[in-house]
Amino acid sequence: MLRRSFRAMGTEIELLLDAPAGTKAEIALDRAEAEFERLEQVLSRFREDSELSQLNRAGKTTDASPDLVRVVELAFKARAATGGLFDPTVHDAVVAAGYDRTFDEVPADGPAAEAGSCGGSVHIDGAAIVLEAGTRLDLGGIGKGYAVDRVCELLAITGPCLVNAGGDLAVRGGSWPVGVSVGITLELTRGAIATSGRDRRSWRRGGDVMHHLIDPSSGRPATGELLRVTVVADTTTDAEVLAKAAFLGAEIDAPRVLVGSDGTTVLAGGLA
Amino acid sequence: MTDTSHRTYAVVLALVVFFVSWAAVAAKPWATAKRDPQLAALAQREQRLRADARLVQTVVDQRLAAYRVALKLREAQIAQSQARALAVNQTAPAPSVRVVNLPPLTITRSS
Repeated sequence: MLRRSFRAMGTEIELLLDAPAGTKAEIALDRAEAEFERLEQVLSRFREDSELSQLNRAGKTTDASPDLVRVVELAFKARAATGGLFDPTVHDAVVAAGYDRTFDEVPADGPAAEAGSCGGSVHIDGAAIVLEAGTRLDLGGIGKGYAVDRVCELLAITGPCLVNAGGDLAVRGGSWPVGVSVGITLELTRGAIATSGRDRRSWRRGGDVMHHLIDPSSGRPATGELLRVTVVADTTTDAEVLAKAAFLGAEIDAPRVLVGSDGTTVLAGGLA
Repeated sequence: MTDTSHRTYAVVLALVVFFVSWAAVAAKPWATAKRDPQLAALAQREQRLRADARLVQTVVDQRLAAYRVALKLREAQIAQSQARALAVNQTAPAPSVRVVNLPPLTITRSS
C-alpha cells in the first residue's frame, strides 16, 4: 500500500494507492498531486489569480476552463436540488462571518460579524459565465469534492485507491475501512464520503462562535443541534452537497452518520 | 395680287418643307446611338457579379447541405453516447458501505 500526504486546498490530502511500488505508481501519485494543485488554481477563492477569484471580481468571463464551468453547473444544480440549502452564492456571507482568508490566517477572535447576503443567479453559455450583479461564488466544498472525484479517477488507472481531502473522500476498487466518528468505522468498496460540521473550522466574532457552514436563509453560520454529518454517496460532490443539506436539517435519502452537539451519534439511511 | 400671294405662300411652304426635311435627314434617325463605354463597363460588371453571386449561392447551398448531414450524424452520435451513459448510470451499483469493526486505514473529519 502506497501512501502520500501533502497540503492542498487548505487541508491535508491523503492518497492511498494499492499498487506495487515503482516508477508507474510514483508517476500516478505525482499526477494526482499535480491535479489538486491545478484545480486549486481554478477553484480557490483565496488565490487572487485563480479563475474563480477573477470571475468574482469581474462578474463575468468568456473563456472559463471546462472545470470551472462544470463545478459552477454542479453547484447551481445542487442549489436547485436542495431547495437552496446548498448555495454557492454564500461567498459574501462567509466573508462577512470572518472567513475572509485561508483558515490558518483567520483571527481566532474579532468584532461582531454582520449577516452577509446570499442569492443571485448565474448564466452559463459554453465557456462564458455571467454572474448576476453583486453575486460572488464560494466553490470551496463542492470544488474540493470535484477535485477528489477527478483525482480518484486518475489514480484508479493504476490501481485500487482512496483519496481523502480532509473529510471529502472517494474510493475506487478494493475495500477501505474509514473511521467516521469515535468508534465507528465504515467499510467502503465503492463511492464517496463527505463530512460537514462545525467542529473544526470555527472562530469567534463578538463573542459568538462562527463557522463556515452558512445557512443561506439567514446569511449567517447555521445554528442547530448537529455538530457533524457524514454522508455516503456515489460521488464526492454528491456526498458534499447532501452532507451540507443534512447539516442544515434536510431529510436526505443516503447512508449517513449524524453527530449531535452532545456527542450523540445516530446511524441512518441503511447503516446499522 | 392673288397670283403674287399664291407664289409667296408656295415659296414659303417650299422653304418650310425643305428645312423640315433637312432637319429630319440631319438627325439621322436611322443611325443607332453610340453606347457610353462607362455604362457598358458597368453593365458588364453587373453581369459578372450576378454570375459570381449565383456561384457563391451554389457553394453555400452545397455546404449547408453537407453541414446538415454532418449535424444529423453528430446528433445521432450524441444521442447514442447519452443513452450509453444513462445505461451505465442505471446499471452502476449504489455506493457500497457497511459498519465494520476494523481499524480504519484513514479517518474522515469535517471538511
